[in-house]
Amino acid sequence: MDENLNKPLPQAGPDPGGQSAPELEERLNPAQAQEPEEAQEQPAEPKVKRDASAGRDLYMNVRVLVSMMAVFVLLFTFVARVIVVSGPSMENTLIERDLILVWSLGYTPKQGDIVVLTQESYQEDSIVKRVIATEGQRVDINYDVGTVSVDGEVIEEDYIKERMLLPGWGEGINHVTVPEGCLFVMGDNRNESADSRFPSIGIIDTRCVIGKGLVVLFPFNHWKGL
Amino acid sequence: MLSSKNSASGQRIWLISAAAAALIAAALRRWQLSSAFEEATGLAIRGAQASVILMCVLIIAGAWFVLLSMHQRPAQPRKPGQAYPWDLVFLGTGDRVFPILEIAAAFLAIASVPILFIVGVGQFQLYQEALTAHVQPPTNNGMLTLATAAGAFLAALGLLQMGRDGLRPGRRGRGGFAAALPGVAGCIWLMESFRAHAANPVQWDYAPQLIAIVLGMGFYMDFAGMSAGVARPRRLLWMAGMTVIFSAVSLVSGLAELSARTAMAEPMLCTQLGDVLLLVSQMLAAVGALWRLPPHLESPQKARKNAPEQPALEQEIQEETTDE
Repeated sequence: MDENLNKPLPQAGPDPGGQSAPELEERLNPAQAQEPEEAQEQPAEPKVKRDASAGRDLYMNVRVLVSMMAVFVLLFTFVARVIVVSGPSMENTLIERDLILVWSLGYTPKQGDIVVLTQESYQEDSIVKRVIATEGQRVDINYDVGTVSVDGEVIEEDYIKERMLLPGWGEGINHVTVPEGCLFVMGDNRNESADSRFPSIGIIDTRCVIGKGLVVLFPFNHWKGL
Repeated sequence: MLSSKNSASGQRIWLISAAAAALIAAALRRWQLSSAFEEATGLAIRGAQASVILMCVLIIAGAWFVLLSMHQRPAQPRKPGQAYPWDLVFLGTGDRVFPILEIAAAFLAIASVPILFIVGVGQFQLYQEALTAHVQPPTNNGMLTLATAAGAFLAALGLLQMGRDGLRPGRRGRGGFAAALPGVAGCIWLMESFRAHAANPVQWDYAPQLIAIVLGMGFYMDFAGMSAGVARPRRLLWMAGMTVIFSAVSLVSGLAELSARTAMAEPMLCTQLGDVLLLVSQMLAAVGALWRLPPHLESPQKARKNAPEQPALEQEIQEETTDE
């Protein structure tokens, strides 16, 4: 019989089984309790270190990675997401391959915002446009002078790439009052943009909006707020 | 210590709660699909009754499981970092239900592998053809689908090991690191699911599935944590319960998509079919945990006397743990 198991147990220790934790450990695992003096000086810490195996460390690292992945995807789903601009329709504000941060949580589109939206009647992938008018506003486009009027007032558009010309497909939708729950959107590069003027896209339902473009993240030399 | 009668009722209440909530949520999701979306555009109708009620049921189920978890009083390891009392929780000697559920989950995961692989290869070939023809390539190049197939294979291996460890008497019931494999594989599946829906403005179309995958990942990681000295049994139970519910909700959407494909005579071999199999797989694994965990948390099953790993020490520690 092992000597350690025959030793009388001390009275001290509020362990639920009636034994102090170090004493119980000594009885159960005598090989790990050979240095009583050292154990008295540092009763708990060395044991914890021994138990922290490589497997546990590996598990902890993997758990951190898995948790981070879950948090990132949930953030990208409900709060904000990052998208890559494709096509020239928002030049010079945004150019091809710009990486932008898009805010989704609790966003309500406003005039002048740059929004990311999906209009499935046009394409399944999302597109980036600027909100020209919101519900109830009247939009009038004059191709002769290249201006856009909202509620009778010509809006100042210092962001457009060049003077707007009559598109190849014709005038399209150029005099319209935006219905309830909808938006009229256009690209900043008016002459190379398929937007609300284009009949296949038309007026956009606000529920198609994924979020508002906040900032260009990459490339760093294009970094700017939107 | 709970009596065996109390433990059994604890098991029953978890299983009945999860099953009832999953059935109600699935029925509500079905109602939502038929009434809460515009037919022409597929956009969600604001304030639709079905969506509101479904959301309420999901929140109430989450809160109910929090209460059940709080009521669950697992014995604690005597010292930080000690894993072995927890390992025995999953030991399934004399109980075939847990191993059968885990092994069934493994076979469902492995069944999704060829489907996802074939679909992924098809997507990859389409992408390459578009590049060769200098036309706009599709947004999906198939790589993530192929990676999901590989992940599903890993998950199946992990699930088999979990079931196997629970089946063999005399061994500890732990899944060990193998239990983390489905959790890691869930990361790839999560990325693929997010990629597939990143441009979809209707969150109801994909958010339940993403949440189901995240909950499944968390449940598997906590399962593995039981053998790594960092057990979170209450959180594990909560995650397992919610995994069952959200998987049921997503399953209804997946099956609806599959039936729509059938109606339109589109090929059935698609990522949705793979998703459905993986959802059922994680649902079964979670039910297995709900079956096994509550009755054994306070009184883990004893390992066989001639158990190869830590035989004497383990038994004594079990007894100490049970006495608490």
